[in-house]
Amino acid sequence: MTSEIILSIENLKTYFFTKKGIVRAVDNISFDIRKGEILCIVGESGSGKTVTALSILRLVESPGKIIEGKIILDEDNLLELSPHKMQDVRGNKIAMVFQDPHSALNPIFTIGDQVSEAISAHKSCNKEDASSQATQLLELVGIPLAKERYHDYPHQFSGGMKQRVVIAMALACHPRVLIADEPATALDLTVQAQILDLFLELRARFEMSIIYITHDLGVVSEIADSIVVMYAGRIMEKGGSRDVLGNPVHPYTKGLMGCLPSEKGIIIPIPGTIPGLINPPAGCIFHPRCVNALDICRMERPPMTKITDEHYVSCFLGGVNG
Amino acid sequence: MDRSYLAKRLLHALIIAWGVMTASFFLMRIGPHSPADKYLATLGAGHNVSQVTAAIESRYGVDRPLYEQYFNYINSLLHGDWGWSFSTSMPVSDLIKIHWAYSFQLIFLSSILAIILGISLGIFTAARKNTKADHIATFFSFAGISIPNFWLGMMLILIFSVKLGWFKTYYDTGLPMFSLSNLYALILPVITLATGMVAGYGRFVRSSMLENMNKDFVRTARAKGLPESVVLRKHVFRNALLPVVTIIMLDMSGIIFGGAYITEFIFGIPGLGWMSLKAVFSDDYSVVMAVTLIGAFVTLFFNLVADIAYTYLDPRIRYE
Repeated sequence: MTSEIILSIENLKTYFFTKKGIVRAVDNISFDIRKGEILCIVGESGSGKTVTALSILRLVESPGKIIEGKIILDEDNLLELSPHKMQDVRGNKIAMVFQDPHSALNPIFTIGDQVSEAISAHKSCNKEDASSQATQLLELVGIPLAKERYHDYPHQFSGGMKQRVVIAMALACHPRVLIADEPATALDLTVQAQILDLFLELRARFEMSIIYITHDLGVVSEIADSIVVMYAGRIMEKGGSRDVLGNPVHPYTKGLMGCLPSEKGIIIPIPGTIPGLINPPAGCIFHPRCVNALDICRMERPPMTKITDEHYVSCFLGGVNG
Repeated sequence: MDRSYLAKRLLHALIIAWGVMTASFFLMRIGPHSPADKYLATLGAGHNVSQVTAAIESRYGVDRPLYEQYFNYINSLLHGDWGWSFSTSMPVSDLIKIHWAYSFQLIFLSSILAIILGISLGIFTAARKNTKADHIATFFSFAGISIPNFWLGMMLILIFSVKLGWFKTYYDTGLPMFSLSNLYALILPVITLATGMVAGYGRFVRSSMLENMNKDFVRTARAKGLPESVVLRKHVFRNALLPVVTIIMLDMSGIIFGGAYITEFIFGIPGLGWMSLKAVFSDDYSVVMAVTLIGAFVTLFFNLVADIAYTYLDPRIRYE
């Protein structure tokens, strides 16, 4: 992979200032995404995947706040843009598909209206143009009889079809980066597969970069070009898909892979649960659940260690065959 | 919304109206007074009480058996005859024709004002949740909801008419309804009636807005890159409006048959409320029953309007 870097996240920190204390939902993460690649962010629930996505669009809501870092798109730091300019990035250069299609659409407007609204938000065109473009988008994402269904309301569609509408909305202005936050999790298995195919097709057709957030390693192995493994707001391991899946270094990555059924059908769960983020464990945040934890892991935060040019791990055992 | 649904609803409404009519008829007859009593009180001594009573009761038909009176009443209602007002000596329908417009004017002006101000207040405070402006508005809203309007009306008269002398004139039925002088005289009554509504609607719109601001589709709208004003106006407000419409419609009958009556009485506006309170004090059966029945009709009407409005505002709702 040597295509140009489109979006680069550097030392991003997003904290939530709650009454009980500061929740470090995203704590100093960095990664890049290249043109036309699918980058998967993997991790358990509560690992900060969604907050990362919302931070990129600057849609984190109070009491959450981005307190540090850079998000570079086209040499602009998105975190320094005026609210008005940021509004022009959303849906135009970076678009997002949300997890639950049942609640992501406004129930009292037609789907056609909601798709064409995404077009006219960024392009100056009249109503007919916007609606004919919206119809084309609905056809593109595979809504049968798009023209007739343009005036239907969300409740008249199935979950999979609603998600296609949401994807059509996200594609409205041909964004450079599409963020998909567990877009298939709320759907049936067969529909999940269709949605995944749709993403692969769209990537090939528009050369979009896709950030695909999921907790499903099966999905990751099917579509990812590169992978970011997150745990409790930090990146544990990142790199090319072949490196991370073929040669996992971090005990957490190995643990996640143990949760997939092996050839013998054995599932090895990771003991324990994700720690509370108000008083996180000192040192490596994964050490309480780590089978290989050393004394140093309890005291110091492990730095990102390079394994190969494209493969990094945040572990003191990095590179060591532990 | 199809026709058969509408027909079914209208039939329900008729049955309820019949129930209200029957209940009010028998409740009025349970009372110990005869319409003759009031008349007798105006006569001096030296009359043959039982003779006069019998004459009056026979004239108004109240000496007949109860069931006969009941069927006669239904029969005349069906022929558009609301009965005879003992105390004013005129048909009830004429009495209503004279008075309804004054009530309508007061209620219409107050409701329009309250809906505009209440919804604006709700949007304003929701958009500024937990700021100083919101806290101040919250304080006055709770005050507005808590103050009974007979007290508010009397205080307004005391302060602005008696002490400051700004409102010396009263509603004059000799002048056109929308004459400047009458509109001026309506300022205090409208404030009296609208204050509670503004405060209540304001709170309700605020909480409905806030509830919808957290919805996923609002985040979707922001992620599309829509300006915040469009997000609020279109995606939040339109959804927030749904429960508000119901509340306002159901509130209407309470406003008309609670607040407006008292307000009219305090400010001497000769509307239906003023008329019916006078009728109650003079045991004027037919007027009280007529007003009760009108109340039932108005309540049923606004319920139906709320349901129909819902089908236009929320595409998920279709009645079968």
